[in-house]
Amino acid sequence: MRVKQAVTLAASTALATIAGTAGAQNVQPIEYTLDNGMKFLLMPRDEQPNIITAGWITPAGSANERPGITGISHMLEHLLFKGTDSIGTSDSDQDDAYRDQLTEIREKMREYTLDVQYARMYDGEIANPWDPANDTDELRAMRAEMTALQDKQAEITIKNEFDSIYTGNGASGMNAGTGNDFTVYYINIPSNKLELWSWMESDRLLDPSFRELDAERFVVIEERRQRLEATATGKLDEQFDSMFWVASPYNWPVIGWMSDLMAYTEDEIKEYFETHYQPANLTGVIVGDFEVDEAKQLVDSYFGRIPNKRPKAAPLVTHSVPLLGELRFSGECDCQDQVEVRYRSVPFGHPDEAVFDIIADLMNGRTGRLYKSLIEEDEIAAQASAGNRAMRYAGMFSFNGLPKGDADLADLEAAWYEELDKLKTELVSERELQKVKNQKAADNFRGLQDNSSLFFQLAITEAYGGYDYLNEYPQRIAAVTPEDIQRVAQEYFEEHERAVSYYTRRGGGEVELLTIEDVRASLPEEMAGMMIPQIEAELANLQQETDADALRSQIEEMNSQSGMVPPQFATAMEYIKQQIQVRIDEIESGDAEGTEGGDQ
Amino acid sequence: MNTLISITCAAITLAGSTIAMAGDIPSHPRELEFEALDFVPPSAGEFRHELSNGVPVYMAPSNEFPLVQIRFSFKGGGYLEPADKAGLSAMTGQMIRTGGSSLMGPSELDEEFDFLAADVSVGVGATSASARVDTLTSNLDRTFELFMDMLRNPRFDEGRLETLRGQAFEGLKARDDNGLTIALREFNYLMWGEEHHESRQPTRESLESITVDDLRAFHEKIFHPGNLMIAVTGDFEEQEMLAFLEEQLSGWDSQPEAPDAPAPTHAFEPGVYYYEKDQPQVQVLVGHRSLTRDDPNAIEADVMNQILGGSGFTSRITNSVRTREGLAYTAGSFMQTRVDYPGIFASYFFTKTPTTALATRLVFDEFDRIQMEPVTTDELETIQNNLIETFPRNFESKGAMLGIFMNDERTDRPEGYWQSYRDKVRAVTPEMVQKAANEYLHPDDAVILVVGPWEEIKKGNADSEADPNRVSTMDEFFGGNATQIPTRDPESLKPIEE
Repeated sequence: MRVKQAVTLAASTALATIAGTAGAQNVQPIEYTLDNGMKFLLMPRDEQPNIITAGWITPAGSANERPGITGISHMLEHLLFKGTDSIGTSDSDQDDAYRDQLTEIREKMREYTLDVQYARMYDGEIANPWDPANDTDELRAMRAEMTALQDKQAEITIKNEFDSIYTGNGASGMNAGTGNDFTVYYINIPSNKLELWSWMESDRLLDPSFRELDAERFVVIEERRQRLEATATGKLDEQFDSMFWVASPYNWPVIGWMSDLMAYTEDEIKEYFETHYQPANLTGVIVGDFEVDEAKQLVDSYFGRIPNKRPKAAPLVTHSVPLLGELRFSGECDCQDQVEVRYRSVPFGHPDEAVFDIIADLMNGRTGRLYKSLIEEDEIAAQASAGNRAMRYAGMFSFNGLPKGDADLADLEAAWYEELDKLKTELVSERELQKVKNQKAADNFRGLQDNSSLFFQLAITEAYGGYDYLNEYPQRIAAVTPEDIQRVAQEYFEEHERAVSYYTRRGGGEVELLTIEDVRASLPEEMAGMMIPQIEAELANLQQETDADALRSQIEEMNSQSGMVPPQFATAMEYIKQQIQVRIDEIESGDAEGTEGGDQ
Repeated sequence: MNTLISITCAAITLAGSTIAMAGDIPSHPRELEFEALDFVPPSAGEFRHELSNGVPVYMAPSNEFPLVQIRFSFKGGGYLEPADKAGLSAMTGQMIRTGGSSLMGPSELDEEFDFLAADVSVGVGATSASARVDTLTSNLDRTFELFMDMLRNPRFDEGRLETLRGQAFEGLKARDDNGLTIALREFNYLMWGEEHHESRQPTRESLESITVDDLRAFHEKIFHPGNLMIAVTGDFEEQEMLAFLEEQLSGWDSQPEAPDAPAPTHAFEPGVYYYEKDQPQVQVLVGHRSLTRDDPNAIEADVMNQILGGSGFTSRITNSVRTREGLAYTAGSFMQTRVDYPGIFASYFFTKTPTTALATRLVFDEFDRIQMEPVTTDELETIQNNLIETFPRNFESKGAMLGIFMNDERTDRPEGYWQSYRDKVRAVTPEMVQKAANEYLHPDDAVILVVGPWEEIKKGNADSEADPNRVSTMDEFFGGNATQIPTRDPESLKPIEE
């Protein structure tokens, strides 16, 4: 039962102390460091026989970029699936030649675009210097030349060979992920394919080809459209983030700004690769059904052959600066109205991280404070949640809400501040705190059950400074006191250090028009029979009216009398006012024909 | 094994750096050799037990963590809703979970579950319903007692119903905010008709009409032992668990089993359809109905689809639309089956507006190629090996394994299916793939659905494409004819009158 040795857990039967003892979770992978400095975390477990989740991580992500190459971490991640001299081409010499020619034409196009097309943009002649629809004849000719070259290269390219080798060997879920602070590559393989994995992964680290860069650039641009530009809130989220982070390198999107995606050169990509993918920067993680000694031999032979060409990557220089005022952002999108209030919290591993996480949990769920107050009692929110996100170098804490019915965004924002006041002025009860701790302890167990979930936790905490935090974090959660919560609420949630965003539905200012049926339903039955025909007759007369100002004063008159109207007639009054306004609009837009249905 | 040993012997460590001998690492992974993995698919009978009231119980214990998971699966779902009550099934599931029980009011019950750190969920889908509890072993008795009371005697608290209804109304407003949501809804409408349980959507009106009496009646139809199967995983002892369930379920009245889901009667009209939406990327679905799960050719049809567009980067559509031409991040195809009636085949991709026609053309080229030419043995073997080698993953977690067993029993999967699966995959030939392509792909009778700004989509990429051979417009398909799907009001889903 080696599993038991690797992951040990203790749970008590006494409820109130669940969190106290379940904090004793102990995840102990075998550490193995190669001579070139690449570290491996080996975690054998046999709960899921015959299967391994394997991968490796570099502690570099979009935060390690700079203006001009934003998104390059992610672009590189894509290109590392494009093969090597051995994988992906049937003729590597000829392929080299084509790549050189492509690089030449790519540089020419870049130079031309930055010069001529940017000048046209600054002159207001075109909106987007990179859009092929704005090509000059000269640029169009270069583009045609590039397409012809790509078609020739395609004849000797073995498309997606990197993937098909894995696929044909029973691997699944091959993928990679780029974040602000790391890039991780992972796959599930059958237990007998650990050598294949070692071959494939060490090969691409030794000798990546960056083949098909130009087509892949457009794939990434489509990814940007899919994830950001064609989603309800994506474009606004990106700008709100950017505003919130100020100096921090979190202020650009992981996928990069559109201009930079179009512009990367092969040299920039290589430079980034060589800086951040030296073996001494990397950690490999293997979780599942395998023999430790075999694994050690394999990674020694395969990953051990990768030399360090450069010193270990330098740490980041620019760190975040505190907010010095309240930032407010408002935008329209094809989305539900929604509000976010966001604060700076703390980086991953900071002593207050666990306190922020507990505060978020106190707010969330059906027994959380937000559901009880905003959703159930006040009935002003359809959804309300809080969350803490601790990244490597900084963190953020957010409140998010969607209003319900007649409530507006300001109502939700105000309700959130009331919740904060409660946190600042009243200590959380022991029972409420214990409930949250119990849930977190049980969820920690649940998160260790699955190989791939364990893989990600190990890889990411290691990239952030050391996997041992996996074992320390539950203890920190268990130790949080009501006083800690009050202190953190008072210290961090300041009025002049927050960012607030209001998103509203595009065109959402339009009033939804009442119908005569709404009016009928609003009236007492005995009155409806009499009043409906009267209202209809008056509205028929309205169609004969052609003086917009006269109608306007009619509305004003109705407004001035509104206090005297019995409540059961309110809908009818509103309906009449709306219909008058519709008529005014018709007259003023020139559609008025003096008859019904003026617009053809 | 041989490879491994030779590496071990030949690895030489020099001061500070490990050097693998050039001869030890083959120049291409195809030269690697692997130990065979033994895998015999588990058979359901070994895990199946039965309670005295006839309820099947599948059990697979493991004591790695002090947690136990009990999952109830009921036959019945959205297809049992009255025609004018779309949304009742999902609402019933949510209200069983959130509306309280005979012992406790809604907030009290939620508090109790949360304090016990129990994960409890209830959901009603289109054809089946489930209720799950995942709890620390030490809390099982208390949690399960509350769970059973909730399931058998839901309170359906009026206040919680109004809260849920209000949340659902807000959700309806967002139904046209996301292009993919629109594309899937409209494609389903085209394939199944608007009233079938596969495609039916709640409206403000249908949600408004739902009463507590409706919830009670719907609960009675589904949540009883006559529709029930149970799966238990985690930390427990089998005989104890059986006795425990026997006791906990005693006195629960049974009803006759729910009827089977009805087949759709709708027939669709092939052609190009578009739904107007102002967005920079277009969602496209190209497809038609497919085949049933137990069709004698289902395995060949699946292999064919894997080669065509169903196996990620290794498949042809992804290769062509994404990798070679750079027109999409997401591009591929799926072949879904259903037990009682044919499912759906579709190719899908998302591309910028002007290249919609070009990408569609590339997809049709791939339909044509797989129908006209036999696939290469390389392509076929890659897919065969993948299906065979990933086969154990179906049974990877005990929960997934028991899920398969329950589903097989409920849907009468033919005996020996899993035992013979890998042999059947191995027996597929290029000719069989081509035959399946001709039998199950119908490009001339397909629907092409696009969501985006139609005028720009239609006109294609002449303005931006440098290569004349890649210039394409939507006039290439169905003689340039296209049908507009009227924009719908997101709350009623009725066409908005212009």
